[in-house]
Amino acid sequence: MRLALAAAAAALVLAGCGQSGGGAQRSVCPPGKLCFHAANQNDPETLDPAKGSLVIEDNIISDMFVGLVTDDAAGQPIPGAAESWTTSPDGLTWTFKLRPHVWSDGVPVTADDVVFSLRRLADPKTAAQYAYFIYPIKNAQEINGGKAAPETLGVEALDDRTVRITLLHPVPYLPELLKHQSTYVLPAHVIRKWGDAWVNPGHIVSNGPYTLASWRLGDKIRLVKNPRFYDAANVCLDEVYYYPIADINSAERQVLRGELDMSNSLRSSRVEYLRKVAPDYVHTHTYLGVGYLAVNTNIPALKDKRVRLALDMALDREFYAEKLFRAGELPAYGFTPPGVANYPGGVKAYFAGWPLERRQAEARRLLAEAGYGPKNPLKLEILYSPGGSQTTIVPAIQADWRQIGVQASLAQAEGQILFSSLNARNFQVGVAGWIADYNDANTFLYLLKSTTGPQNYGDYKNPIYDALLDKADNEPDLQKRAAYLMQAEKIMVDDAANLPFYFWISRNLVNPNVSGWIDNIVDHHRKRWLCFKDADARRSAPRS
Amino acid sequence: MTAFGPELAPGSRAGAAAMTSAARKGRSLWDDALRRLLRNRAAVGSMAVLAVLVLAAVVGPFLTPFTYDQLNKQDVWVAPLTHGHLLGTDSLGRDLLARLLIGLRVSLAVGVVATCVSLVIGVAWGASAGYLGGRIDEVMMRVVDVLYSLPFIFFVILLMVTFGRNFILMFVAIGAVEWLTMARIVRGQTLSLRHKEFVEAARAAGVSSGRIVLRHIVPNLLGPVVVYVTLTIPGVILAESFLSFLGLGVQEPLTSLGTLISTGAQDMELAPWLLIFPSIVMVVTLMCFNFIGDGLRDAIDPKDR
Repeated sequence: MRLALAAAAAALVLAGCGQSGGGAQRSVCPPGKLCFHAANQNDPETLDPAKGSLVIEDNIISDMFVGLVTDDAAGQPIPGAAESWTTSPDGLTWTFKLRPHVWSDGVPVTADDVVFSLRRLADPKTAAQYAYFIYPIKNAQEINGGKAAPETLGVEALDDRTVRITLLHPVPYLPELLKHQSTYVLPAHVIRKWGDAWVNPGHIVSNGPYTLASWRLGDKIRLVKNPRFYDAANVCLDEVYYYPIADINSAERQVLRGELDMSNSLRSSRVEYLRKVAPDYVHTHTYLGVGYLAVNTNIPALKDKRVRLALDMALDREFYAEKLFRAGELPAYGFTPPGVANYPGGVKAYFAGWPLERRQAEARRLLAEAGYGPKNPLKLEILYSPGGSQTTIVPAIQADWRQIGVQASLAQAEGQILFSSLNARNFQVGVAGWIADYNDANTFLYLLKSTTGPQNYGDYKNPIYDALLDKADNEPDLQKRAAYLMQAEKIMVDDAANLPFYFWISRNLVNPNVSGWIDNIVDHHRKRWLCFKDADARRSAPRS
Repeated sequence: MTAFGPELAPGSRAGAAAMTSAARKGRSLWDDALRRLLRNRAAVGSMAVLAVLVLAAVVGPFLTPFTYDQLNKQDVWVAPLTHGHLLGTDSLGRDLLARLLIGLRVSLAVGVVATCVSLVIGVAWGASAGYLGGRIDEVMMRVVDVLYSLPFIFFVILLMVTFGRNFILMFVAIGAVEWLTMARIVRGQTLSLRHKEFVEAARAAGVSSGRIVLRHIVPNLLGPVVVYVTLTIPGVILAESFLSFLGLGVQEPLTSLGTLISTGAQDMELAPWLLIFPSIVMVVTLMCFNFIGDGLRDAIDPKDR
């Protein structure tokens, strides 16, 4: 999943340069209700679960919809729209039993809705970025490629409350896939009626804890509790407000002043200070995210493995993690973050233990071997997006590369433009980041497979790597599977297919009065689990 | 251009000596203006301070022990006066003094270059419109009116997005917006000058329009133009800072006063020096320009006092 790199510049202008107001005026809560106010860096591009791809969209969508599987308070998969499921011994057939529950308009959620949603995701007409997500399902890849009809998808409704999913190869992490926003259960009757306009306020119905009440662009999104949600009795907060606040410093101040209850982003360099002045507010946790430099292997110079390795070695990752970010981030010598499920991890590039001087010397040697030197310096352009947490690092990378004689110039591009440039291979080196879509190493390693398409930014192609991933896909034994994946990762890392530089941590600023908050590795905090410590007092003594 | 200036009587003290010399030296309006300017303490003080700042911006970066883009990895975020960093270092361990000097250089360069762009376009446009008059004047000034109604920041952002981030482009963009007021001032002055006797005389003598504008109109406009220029430079520096504050300014590792203040503001509780020193330099620079502009206006146009 891509991090929403807010275009700080443009958004600041749009927000009226508001340091104090910031365009987000805390709403008046109806008397006797519990309202939760959250900062969200930007307005979502869409609220259609199948089409979204940003974290800021997932935050909102996942409060409105539940998939067959859903998140518990700690981000672990628990039964959602399905109350139970069984797996065939070969791991290829999964049967889900739906929970009897209804959409927010009273229409029952049926197995047909599930079939409809997944077919819609695979259908090339939907143009869903995450269509590849269900490629393990029979025929999904063919359907998405236009070679088969959506009806041939390996998802069938056996009766009104039973769904059978047929896979191409065992996917032990299927429940993780089915709690991702792209696979959520959608209301077939509403989408058939309204088409793409089904997500508009007034049309949209959902099966989750909240429904969309209003969306004022640039101002706020208001969700109200869905009384028909199957677990509505245990949902504490009555209303949830999301404010698009691009300026994270402004969001931080609003949380500290008590105007907002949480902000899901926080500049790393602020963490140290905030831990001192507001220790109860700061929440950091290991996170399945990695910051890396995508290297375009279509550029002749970067096609050369020696050049990529030299660039890789010259990065002073310890400095980045300890001095620049200093919130607990870890230097990355591999691509898969520590803590991923079903994966012992710990794969590191062969030069990981070397001191910086030795790495620099070796990098210079490799560059010279590749034909670059003081007389013929390698010139590169680093593409990055301003405003993001990763921005601070770019001048440091530039300086580190200067040490080995590489002249890097910097090019800034606003978030959306950056992503389209990466997708179009219109870059040399790009600052990118990847957040796990599901808790499995595959979500990272998949990126560098030659068949992945746009998200393999650097167009890395290595048949051995691809073969190992395929082998892992078809391996039901989790330990053997992990061994294949680690073998693949080692090959990719030693090839410098891309240049990972640090593993992220999640950084949230949460009012200490909020209860039910559990820091977790996927950084999912669905609002249905949250409440206020003084909830009773708030209910009886309403305040604005 | 002293042709039309009233010849002033020689000063009494110098009288005798002047009388005896063959060529009696007159005092022009410009001499007068200079005298009045030099009597203005704030203006003179500002000029001295500004001279120091310009000198620092030009030669300073060569003299600092650290370069502006050099990372001192052991000295991240150190306070002023530690380990040889007079003004401390930033989050990457870069010396603030070196960055401040380079930032000042960039800001001053932006100010001067953009103002020159606005000067050239504005004077040419305004003088042509004013002198030619009639329908041409109408059309030219309506163009100015239309451009005036474009919000400045959106115009610059649009330029940046279309042509990409470019240092030179930013000079031009700001200059291309700032010339509008200049054109109006110049046109107004030209209108009042074009019917003056010396212009009539030149026309009667058969001098071409272009030459009249260049030789007779423009030199007589210089007073208000010079005043306006000194007031435009700080305006442009501010505009650049504003753009930098929004992240549309110069590219790393280069910096400008606005960029320094913007990044300094993000961590002001942790490293206040990153905000304080650039702000002081910025305020002093702007104040100098404003005092000089004020002094010049008083000197050149004594009626306005």
